[in-house]
Amino acid sequence: MRIGLPRALLYHYYYPLWKSLFEQLGVEIVISDITSKQLVQEGVKVTVPEICLPIKIFNGHIINLLSKEVDYIFIPRFIGVESGKWFCPKFIGLPELADYTIDGVKSKILTVDIQGKKESTCEWTNYRPLCEALQVTPKELKKALKTAERVWQHFRDCCKQGFTIEEAEKMCSEDMRGSERTAHHTHDITLGVLGYVYNVYDPFVSMDIIKKLHGMNVRVITFEMLDEKRIHEKFKRKSKNLYWTFTDKIYGAAVELMENHQIDGLIHITAFGCGPDSIVGKMMELDSEKFKKPFMTIRVDEHTGESHLLTRIEAFVDMIKRQKISERRRELA
Amino acid sequence: MDIYIGIDVGSVSTNVVAMDQNDHIIFKEYTRTNGQPLESVKKGLKLLEEDLKRIFYTVKGVGTTGSGRQLAGILVGADIVKNEITAHATATVNFHPTVNTILEIGGQDSKIIIIQDKMVVDFAMNTVCAAGTGSFLDHQSERLGVPIQDFGGLALTAKKDVRIAGRCTVFAESDMIAKQQYGFSKAEIIKGLCDALVRNYINNLGRGKALKAPYVFQGGVAANKGIKAAFERELGCEIIIPKYYNVMGAIGAAILAKEYIEVSGEETKFRGFGAAELAFKPRSFECEDCANCCEVIKVELNGKTVAIWGDKCGKWANSVTG
Repeated sequence: MRIGLPRALLYHYYYPLWKSLFEQLGVEIVISDITSKQLVQEGVKVTVPEICLPIKIFNGHIINLLSKEVDYIFIPRFIGVESGKWFCPKFIGLPELADYTIDGVKSKILTVDIQGKKESTCEWTNYRPLCEALQVTPKELKKALKTAERVWQHFRDCCKQGFTIEEAEKMCSEDMRGSERTAHHTHDITLGVLGYVYNVYDPFVSMDIIKKLHGMNVRVITFEMLDEKRIHEKFKRKSKNLYWTFTDKIYGAAVELMENHQIDGLIHITAFGCGPDSIVGKMMELDSEKFKKPFMTIRVDEHTGESHLLTRIEAFVDMIKRQKISERRRELA
Repeated sequence: MDIYIGIDVGSVSTNVVAMDQNDHIIFKEYTRTNGQPLESVKKGLKLLEEDLKRIFYTVKGVGTTGSGRQLAGILVGADIVKNEITAHATATVNFHPTVNTILEIGGQDSKIIIIQDKMVVDFAMNTVCAAGTGSFLDHQSERLGVPIQDFGGLALTAKKDVRIAGRCTVFAESDMIAKQQYGFSKAEIIKGLCDALVRNYINNLGRGKALKAPYVFQGGVAANKGIKAAFERELGCEIIIPKYYNVMGAIGAAILAKEYIEVSGEETKFRGFGAAELAFKPRSFECEDCANCCEVIKVELNGKTVAIWGDKCGKWANSVTG
């Protein structure tokens, strides 16, 4: 049996988990291609125009998988992974959204409801519908989930050591184990890059911003590299709960990074049409004034030109580097 | 005399300046790009070479900026290739050290730069939309039959105020037509247009930023007295227009080149004025090797590929060595 995983949305956060889970259950995984201009255009063509860019891209990935002869396409319904917080409505209605948007996908949708208290999503009741679809016993599913959870925790630990998601994924796969890697190369400045995993780690959306920043000798910290407990602490101090799991994480991370003297500035990457970001973006902007941290928002849509983005990043990095040099000169004087 | 050259290749104008070691501008040339960045750089360089015949000089460094900075940098052999924000801010701080806010409106983009103690602390640039930039004014001057040089002066003669919707170029235009039909004069319409452009600029770029005097207004549009007056009305204080307002980016590039050469102690990579004669051939093609269909730009010098960029995967960019 072949199951397709769209390389979009929370794939970027849960791939090591799903890979381990499905492989243990004897299923072949087919991942859609890396987001490309053509793939985005396919998605944009079929999706309602008002919706946000990440959903358009998600639909592009489903269309891509339909051409790969898969038996199922895994489209989990993310409802909540901690109490009192939920996912954006588009995640809650994701299977239906796909069904009503793309012809011929209905019979292939394999969905589960993710609703629990563990960020790993590994409560076995979440994945129970897989037993019937994949012809496995609850016992087999439970065992596979236990191993998958361990793999995912290892992946998260790698992230928290300062590795990017791409690096952490590689470290989790068998062939990379034991190789010597270090997350801390030399750098002139350190920037926090905040944004959802499906924006920051999709090379089309972010135009490989992390690689570009590394090329400018900048160390990059993203929210998933930070300790969850500390992010949570930061958030608890705020009077306002945003109710959205990942939005809260990003805001907590922003506060944590703004309070950190080693962080020289923050870049918020947001996709055009994101509702939660319109609120959290403004909150971060206001906080950045309070903490006197340079802050820049990069808003991307399907038409964004790369040169414009590069000019902004260059100018932002330049601004901070030049400030640092002049500060050092003043200290010496 | 040691000189430093700065080149700013924008969408609408290409500017070349030469500066001596004391930051005095000894040459400046503002030309229209007309969609041919390489040709206009070559033209600017030729004029500079002619002009420099009157003195003994050595070119110590060259810097490029603007949207065509990469291409121009390869053509002339630039020592530094810098973004427009850094270049503009560097030049302004050099002439007006106390500046707090730089208002810059160019041909197809506009920026606001916030300065504290001579350092850039915040900035914003307009995004894809060109409403409220020089190109928009150019277009309207053509439509109204008023040469762009007379545009601002005419606005100052307006007797009445008329409010024009400035959020979007398309709507501004239909609004202008309607107001003309109501019987407002050309001068009043142009004044309304200047107010709308400034309102739009402050709302979009200045949103959430603490704008503080002294203000310096530069870029090609700073030649427009009507816009200057509109900014003064909106901000409630005097606006400084620097002497070299329309070539500030190029001056910044020259200063940055000088800084770089002084700190690094390197020899300049300037190809010499012969660069204007070199057979540079830029061409672009759509790479068909994957679904990204990147638009790749390739520059050839005497039949040899000297630079390629624009590809996401780096396959083309990495194929050029040295």
